[in-house]
Amino acid sequence: MLKATLRSFLAHKGRLLLSALAIVLSVAFVAGSLIFSDTVTRTFDRLFASTSADVTVEPKQDLKSSVPTGAVGTVPAALADRVAQVDGVAGAHADVSVQNIVVVDRHNESVGSTTGAPTIATDWYLTHRSAVRLTSGHVPRGAGQALLDADTADRKQVRIGDTLTVQAQPGTFRVEIVGIATFTTTNPGAALVFLDPAVAARELLGSPGRATSISVDAAGGVTDAELKGRIGAAIGTGTYDLKTADEQAKSSAADLGGFLDVIKYVMLGFAGIATLVGVFLIVNTFSMLIAQRTRELGLLRALGADRRQVRRSVLTEAVLLGLAGSTLGLGAGIGLAFGLIGLMSAIGMNLKATEMVIGWGTPVAAYAVGVGVTFVAAYLPARRAAAVSPMAALADAEIAGVGKPLRVRAVVGSAVGALGAAALAGCAAATRTAGAAALLGVGVVLTLIATVIAGPLLVRPVIRVLGGAFPALFGPVGRMSQRNALRNPRRTGATAAALMVGLALVGGMSVASASMSASFDQQIDKTLGADFVIQNGSFLPFTEEVTERVRGTEGVGLVVRQRFAPVAVRLPDGKRVTTTAAGYDPQVDQVAHVAYKGGDTAAALAAGSLGMDARFAEDHRVRLGTVLPVEFPGGRTADMKVGALSDQDGGSGFGTQGGLFFGIATVQKYVPGGQDSALYVNRTAGTSADRLRANLERTLAPFPQVQVRDQADYKKLVHDQISVLLYLVYALLGLAIVIAVLGVVNTLALSVVERTREIGLLRAIGLARRQLRRMIRLESVVIAVFGAVLGLALGLVWGVCTQRVLALQGMKALAVPWGTIVAVVIGSAVVGIVAALLPALRASRMNVLAAIAHE
Amino acid sequence: MSTPAAQAPAADAIAARARGLTKAYGAGETAVLALDSVDVDIARGRFTAVMGPSGSGKSTLMHCLAGLDDVSAGQVWLGGTEITGLKERELTRLRRDRIGFMFQSFNLIPTLNAAENITLPMDIAGRRPDRKWVDQVIDTLGLRDRLGHRPAQLSGGQQQRVACARALASRPELIFADEPTGNLDSRAGLEVLGFLREAVDRLGQTVVMVTHDPSAAGHSDLVLFLADGRIVDRIEEPTAEAVLERMRRFSGGGDEGGGRDEGADGGSAGRGPAERDSSSASEED
Repeated sequence: MLKATLRSFLAHKGRLLLSALAIVLSVAFVAGSLIFSDTVTRTFDRLFASTSADVTVEPKQDLKSSVPTGAVGTVPAALADRVAQVDGVAGAHADVSVQNIVVVDRHNESVGSTTGAPTIATDWYLTHRSAVRLTSGHVPRGAGQALLDADTADRKQVRIGDTLTVQAQPGTFRVEIVGIATFTTTNPGAALVFLDPAVAARELLGSPGRATSISVDAAGGVTDAELKGRIGAAIGTGTYDLKTADEQAKSSAADLGGFLDVIKYVMLGFAGIATLVGVFLIVNTFSMLIAQRTRELGLLRALGADRRQVRRSVLTEAVLLGLAGSTLGLGAGIGLAFGLIGLMSAIGMNLKATEMVIGWGTPVAAYAVGVGVTFVAAYLPARRAAAVSPMAALADAEIAGVGKPLRVRAVVGSAVGALGAAALAGCAAATRTAGAAALLGVGVVLTLIATVIAGPLLVRPVIRVLGGAFPALFGPVGRMSQRNALRNPRRTGATAAALMVGLALVGGMSVASASMSASFDQQIDKTLGADFVIQNGSFLPFTEEVTERVRGTEGVGLVVRQRFAPVAVRLPDGKRVTTTAAGYDPQVDQVAHVAYKGGDTAAALAAGSLGMDARFAEDHRVRLGTVLPVEFPGGRTADMKVGALSDQDGGSGFGTQGGLFFGIATVQKYVPGGQDSALYVNRTAGTSADRLRANLERTLAPFPQVQVRDQADYKKLVHDQISVLLYLVYALLGLAIVIAVLGVVNTLALSVVERTREIGLLRAIGLARRQLRRMIRLESVVIAVFGAVLGLALGLVWGVCTQRVLALQGMKALAVPWGTIVAVVIGSAVVGIVAALLPALRASRMNVLAAIAHE
Repeated sequence: MSTPAAQAPAADAIAARARGLTKAYGAGETAVLALDSVDVDIARGRFTAVMGPSGSGKSTLMHCLAGLDDVSAGQVWLGGTEITGLKERELTRLRRDRIGFMFQSFNLIPTLNAAENITLPMDIAGRRPDRKWVDQVIDTLGLRDRLGHRPAQLSGGQQQRVACARALASRPELIFADEPTGNLDSRAGLEVLGFLREAVDRLGQTVVMVTHDPSAAGHSDLVLFLADGRIVDRIEEPTAEAVLERMRRFSGGGDEGGGRDEGADGGSAGRGPAERDSSSASEED
């Protein structure tokens, strides 16, 4: 029996080709993402493990803000001396290293990375652990001299002798590059400027007596953990975080990890889509192969093979396919990881492809996914194969039949669909975000499953309509292609399902994001009253100097600063919420239109007071006048009175839950050394907007990190931020479409084989090759458009429900991007045409006589 | 290949003609001659049967005459058109517009109903069928009440009748029927043969039928016997018995140059024994 299975597998290998390709794609993404993240993890683990001091002393980080504030935590430099006294300490150094700077070359361009990696200014202090060494020039001596890392110097073409401007929090200063430092290990992509330790603290922290951390060398025979305990006992752990080398390496890697995790999750998303869509393809392939082999299977049964043997033979074939696909996929995954590493290198992160890590988990996952998916996908067809009666061998197999009635599908599909619809309806009617989001998730999954199950039932009604005009437009060719698509609803349904899944996702996401954009537009129209907003494109804070320059610009009437502070509030309902609050200058009413349910701006911004989103307040039983204990970074706390409840759409956004705000003086008091995140600027009477913009842009020319935006620019900025999300979705869509195309090609190719005699007959009685090709193309188009229509319909429902959930967050506008939807439908027709190219060519090349005689 | 006009047959009497028609499969030592320099004229308005044992080349002859297969040497004309040397596209058009086909099985497109199948060649051509003619064909074949049925809903005999109607519907110059009764029981087979006979007698069509069934051949006006790629004999106005007798002679003694004694065999036997005989003939085949 195994021999027969092997023979059959080899005989059908051509027909399994596309299924194998689908497996290869899924496995490649799984393996590629694992290899990539393993490689990155090991590279950085090694980097940080080798560069971390035995013990590091840092200021306590109790509140971590998801919105950058620009404030730098420091410790007294003298702490190094105290630490050095501790028994077992061989040496202690006060480090100065900040990221809240911008380094600008003489073209007023930032030398920093464009990929989100930080620009770091630090003191030049070389130890055996340093990841850099001086490769040319000399070490910086005194103020006005600096080293630059070699990668940045190469990228920005900075040479020894060039002058750079460093915009640090205490003030801007110029440095001459006197040397180049080169990484001995992997450069995570950051731009580094090294200053003389004697001046670094003064220039970067504004005080020679401060440091950002203390790195400690252990004397021989003392373990890191032991030393950490001794230092903790000596200086206390209330205001300092102490970390051993291991802990420090881990936390540094984790800081970097956020950025890398994104890549990993995106890759896994791709793998998920590829797998999901691939399943449909494999199910379809096996179903068709079994339909075509009904007589052969019947013969096997007649010769005495029992059902289990038949089923096992099909499943063995599936496992063989899975193994072959996984092996190729693993190879492709290594290639993919190689490419990703190359890409990372291209954007400044110097990973070495030669140090690629392939852990044991990678092949395990690859084979588990590849073989598992194939096995699961082939299971139902295998059962169907086992159900073939021995009589099938004798009967004249008419494979054009419709197959069994779809009653089970109808019942199960409607049941699941009803549940899903109920969940979505519940989500649309819900009033609380958490419950609504959960219902949305359940509804999306259930309706997707229901549509996949019931897809074949929708084939007839939908394709009757879609292809309704075909006979009129394309004559008998159109009629036959429409009927061919209707011929086997299961097959058409499964083929279209692959496309449907991807398009449903895109439909939903595009409705949600268009609604978000529209909502933000509405909010900006409603609330933003300033003529201009000065802000960083990534919402990073900027130095004080920018604010001063703007204030001094001709034509500037009013400047209102916005500054963020990480806070934690304990609410009357017992919950402790960690969030980020915004601080404003008192004249905020002149640059923004804020609606209040109680209180006003003045009451909110007064000393010892804060404002809060009214809905959030209601949820947590906060009333006007409630006094809340508020925690700030560095252990500072204050009791603050709720002075106003704002009634804004979108009062709480990402990372700013609760919509907390207070006077900027409060921020300055509790978060010293912070930077402004935005400036709202109004012009003086008599200055035109264009004039003021020109003035501002001239003033801010040396500060490439901030841009001047009016309301329209501001909207565009927000749209761009949302678009990033969409691009990701489109990339996922692209992959889903590639596999869906494979699925359509697969179905058509196998259908063409199945209909060989029919094609021969058509050719014999005079169907031209061109007409035959058109027939197959039209069938393909109708299947693809069917999938698109189903997917978009589902996606629209999802999108509308998602918008209902967003509305609870204040994003009340609903926008349906009809342009995108029409484009997707047209695009799917093109997909159909492309998918039909090869099968149509193959059909038209068939030898007429051989085709007629085909068994 | 040159085609002197003088060599072209008189178009009105001859529906198809082959001269020196040779078809070889393979090349060199292993080449097999399926047709060995065959000369044949198919008279217009007649029912011609081509008989011969398996491998005699009878199907190949039909395929070459119908423009389904290319020839190794020789010339083929359909009416006044030389079809040897025509391009694929022209051949397709020729088959569509000037030839009707009936095959042994799988004659119909399963997704189309009977009426759509009947007019398919004209639909493909984008020509409007001659309604009166098509109606006449449908009525002659008794398909009026089956027009809306799909092939799967029709019996084998009905399917062949639909195929016959399709072959006739465009009023082609020539109808090729390749074992049209091969898959039918004797009653349905007789019916189909009767229709082909009627198509010739009443509708003035020209039919070439390939068969190995002597009783089927007995319905024709002329039987051509093929053996080893050559036409070895012919019987005008055959009866099943005469055909059967001739077949026996081939398989028995190989008396190929055989006499011209058509009609000499007893024509007294009815249809019944002929049918019984036909089964024994096919066993010999």
